[in-house]
Amino acid sequence: MTRRGVITMAMIVVGLLLMGYGYFGGAAQWCADAVSCSNPRVEWSPAIFVLGVIVAFSSALYYTVAKDEVTDEVARGKQQ
Amino acid sequence: MTKYGMVVDLDRCQGCRACVEACKIENNTPSAVFWMHVFRLEDGEYPNTRLSFLPRPCQHCNNAPCVKVCPVGARYGREDGLVLTDYDRCIGCRYCEVACPYGVNYFNWRSPDDAFADYQMSFDDPDVVAVTDGAVPPYRNPVHDRKHGDERRRTSGSSHDKGVMEKCTFCVHRVEQGLLPACVDTCPVGALRFGDTDDDETPISQFLRTRETFQLLEELGTDPSVVYVGGTAPTSHAREIERPMTEVTR
Amino acid sequence: MTVQDAHAPDERREREETELPMGVGRVSRGWIAFVGLAFLGVVVGIIGFLTEQGQGLVGTGMRDLGTMGGATWGLYITLVIYFVGVSFAGIMIAALIRLFNLEHLKGIARMAEVMTVVALLLGALAIIVDLGKPVRGVVNLFRYARPQSPFFGTFSLVITGYLFSSLVYMYVTARRDAAVLAARPSKLQGFFRAWSAGYEDTADQRARDRRTTFWLALAILPVLVVATSSLGLVFGLQVGRPGWFGTLQAPAFVVLAGVSGIGHIIVLAAIVRHALHQEDRIGVDAFAWLGRFLMTLLFVYCYFVAVEIFTTIYQPAVAEQRIGDALLTGRYAWLFWGSIVTLVVPALLLAWMAIKKQWRIGWLVAIGVIVNLGALAKRYLIVVPSQTHGQLLPYGEVGTYSPTWVEYAVMIGLFSLGALLVAIFMKIFPIIELADADTDPDVDDGGAERPEAHEMEKEVVS
Repeated sequence: MTRRGVITMAMIVVGLLLMGYGYFGGAAQWCADAVSCSNPRVEWSPAIFVLGVIVAFSSALYYTVAKDEVTDEVARGKQQ
Repeated sequence: MTKYGMVVDLDRCQGCRACVEACKIENNTPSAVFWMHVFRLEDGEYPNTRLSFLPRPCQHCNNAPCVKVCPVGARYGREDGLVLTDYDRCIGCRYCEVACPYGVNYFNWRSPDDAFADYQMSFDDPDVVAVTDGAVPPYRNPVHDRKHGDERRRTSGSSHDKGVMEKCTFCVHRVEQGLLPACVDTCPVGALRFGDTDDDETPISQFLRTRETFQLLEELGTDPSVVYVGGTAPTSHAREIERPMTEVTR
Repeated sequence: MTVQDAHAPDERREREETELPMGVGRVSRGWIAFVGLAFLGVVVGIIGFLTEQGQGLVGTGMRDLGTMGGATWGLYITLVIYFVGVSFAGIMIAALIRLFNLEHLKGIARMAEVMTVVALLLGALAIIVDLGKPVRGVVNLFRYARPQSPFFGTFSLVITGYLFSSLVYMYVTARRDAAVLAARPSKLQGFFRAWSAGYEDTADQRARDRRTTFWLALAILPVLVVATSSLGLVFGLQVGRPGWFGTLQAPAFVVLAGVSGIGHIIVLAAIVRHALHQEDRIGVDAFAWLGRFLMTLLFVYCYFVAVEIFTTIYQPAVAEQRIGDALLTGRYAWLFWGSIVTLVVPALLLAWMAIKKQWRIGWLVAIGVIVNLGALAKRYLIVVPSQTHGQLLPYGEVGTYSPTWVEYAVMIGLFSLGALLVAIFMKIFPIIELADADTDPDVDDGGAERPEAHEMEKEVVS
């Protein structure tokens, strides 16, 4: 895998992790009977979720736009 | 653990709406806004008609749909059973209002200090100052500007900020001082009771043990903290015979 | 196809050589008139919004449920779900075209993407207009948003995730065209150069583009369905609102979203085809494909409606019956049956055209407009009657709601803003993907198909 592929996959993974954290880790719990249910466990966690979406989709930008010194001929086909 | 609840004794309610008035004064609510409302209902056709009265504060549900749908956690349920609104966080999307099956939410459609609109009396108005000599009448209670509960949020009546949602607070500012909600305190026939329903020794718990109870729209699973005794739940054919003003502009 | 006039004077030939394809960078009188009109509409919307912000939402026809006897969600929420629905179909079609490599539809892919981005923007604006505290809303959603609220999906997935992914998709698929245009001297050259971001038209790059668009499309499609369903669930999950609570809300929402969006694409494609004289890039077969797709969705939706009507009249609960009566025979009957006609008749017309295999673009455009009126009406009928007629406690008989001029002004403003943005986009970027002949760097632009300058003068954009 070329450096381009590695960074792209890394961006997707980081994006998904941020989304997962923003949704399951940092956001408010699913309940309605305590004050803590109304506050996100980590403030701005919805922003983290949105950031995750942005990072994940930005991987496509990186993949097409980035200049790569190594030729991508070898990478073709491996990138699945 | 304290769990506040209200009991409405329909056998005692005479439909005088003193609670409605007390609520309006205590919380200084704008025109056409009734955090406490008393239905005056008629059921059946002449000569077999029956009148009934049904006080309707916010039900302070233990499984509140309004709390679940609030996108920012401005509407929240407390451990002590109160369901409150944080006026400093509410974004005014009104989702709580459509989610609530009881119709207890009131939105601030306009600014209360909009003197031109005659929405609510402005105490800075020169015409008013000429009469009051600058004195702020005592019923504009400064306690409403405080933050309440362990969560330190501004949740009690009287702010009426334009563009946020409000509703009955069970008079959180009074309950915290050990007082009864204004409606309960005012009721001349003792039709409303308020207290800790989690403690078996409180008068309200003792009263509840002796009576058959029902909740409004129990079938929806909202589990209200407001419990009704005596009388009957309004049938689906009940007609409202009189409703207070409905127009924001009066 | 060559439109270069060999006998043209040198001066004109020179000018044409610097001209960009698809009418980019040149405006006609018709376009200016259209944009002026749209701009006026936007001004009307801004006046409405400022009025509303000045006095509070009291300027709208919305009022509290219950003792006030109103509807607290009205035209604005109707517009939110309508616009998000329109955006859904745009990116869906663009993704399908690239996923299944539907060559004959390539000409409409980009306008579908543009429509998605614009419609999402309008949907977001419609939400903001509806909020009592618009500025606080934008901040607090990022700060406190709760996944338990169905609005979380609307906010995080629809407005941000889906808007961003559509923008990425549009950017990536348009980069090669930007590079082609950046090679030609024009006032917009700097803009195209920035967009192309050092694009080199190599075999490697093309392969990467293909891969990227394929995987992007594959990632966007499920996000789309989830996001659009979440908007249906805003209504479908509310047990306290008869008429809303139900499993059918989310799928019906997605299907009607497709109907309104495809209607829009048909209209837009017909306008572009006519204005830019792209009869061969957007062929009748493209319209036929859209027409068949629209027909399928319409029949599915009509089936949903039939099931819903049957459920409502068979053994309704009291509140359900009240809403059902209001829809079928009462206050909303004219709107309800009107919307049914605007959905059933187009479905039958499309079926007839499909059987005859004769697709008339004029008829399709009319159908596109009509189904959108029907979709808007259906959205309104989802939002409002459950509030005015769906009270479970005995609050008088029924509530009332009718929009005020403020709401209509904002609605005009939103539609005008959409038209304005699309019209402007058409003049700064080719709204149709350039064909290979246009983009091959070795071929001189003699192969480019362009409308003649004098023809451009006569074009009618609206």
